[in-house]
Amino acid sequence: MAEYKKLVIKHGPGGWGGPLVIEPKPGREVIASITGGGIHPLAQKIADLTGGVVKDGFRGGVPFDQIACAVIDCGGTARVGVYPMKKVPTVDIYPTKPSGPLFRFITEEFFVSGVRVQDLENNNNNNK
Amino acid sequence: MIGLSGILCRMIPEKDEGRLKKYSATVLHVGALVSEFTEAGILVFFGESAPQELYEFSVIHDGKSLEADLVPGDRIFLDGEPFVILAVGEVANTNFRNLGHLVMKFNGETQVEMPGDVCVEKKQLVWLHPGSKIEIIGEEIA
Repeated sequence: MAEYKKLVIKHGPGGWGGPLVIEPKPGREVIASITGGGIHPLAQKIADLTGGVVKDGFRGGVPFDQIACAVIDCGGTARVGVYPMKKVPTVDIYPTKPSGPLFRFITEEFFVSGVRVQDLENNNNNNK
Repeated sequence: MIGLSGILCRMIPEKDEGRLKKYSATVLHVGALVSEFTEAGILVFFGESAPQELYEFSVIHDGKSLEADLVPGDRIFLDGEPFVILAVGEVANTNFRNLGHLVMKFNGETQVEMPGDVCVEKKQLVWLHPGSKIEIIGEEIA
């Protein structure tokens, strides 16, 4: 039986949004790496810290309702909107801000950007 | 804006010697919600490995390899209609190379708004459909 842990993710330097609380649940436990070049280290780290299951979104998709957290390397227009629109907590490795046709869906509740692996470690040390 | 009807059927120039064909692809799928983006003058492309969740907003294509980074001055041909690239965001080439992901903004801007943007001339965008051709041709090689 997998053991899940909560993880708070704040935005990194120059980033926007959040903090997000990532908490995988049975049936919604996937940390989806919707990034180029395989599983991004940030997605792996989020999985390690939460007990979620990391998957490469570009090798077989993951339905929105199974995603506990989507990690994206979006340049600001498409993925930043699509995942928050489906109410999936979304972490962009780039420090993007809401923009594009779907900007109205990009809210602090579902989106955080500019996050680096070391930010996760700092956040957790600082969690009250 | 100029009238384009006269050249809509023009094909990609045959004189490609001295120019580098950087990319070539055929459209496989046009998502039902692509119009959300085209209304804002944006076309979003992804390669066919994109997860199904991204299909509804995207033009999915079978392009594989990018021969050289996109730079201003290159031309993107959509079904033969050329669009000169004016600006390329700092992550645009990485996204295009890795994911076949291109965000084309038909806004005439010479500076990108977002790091993933590729800005082209401000003119009527081309409505793509499965089977449409995408080609990207570089500047003349010295």
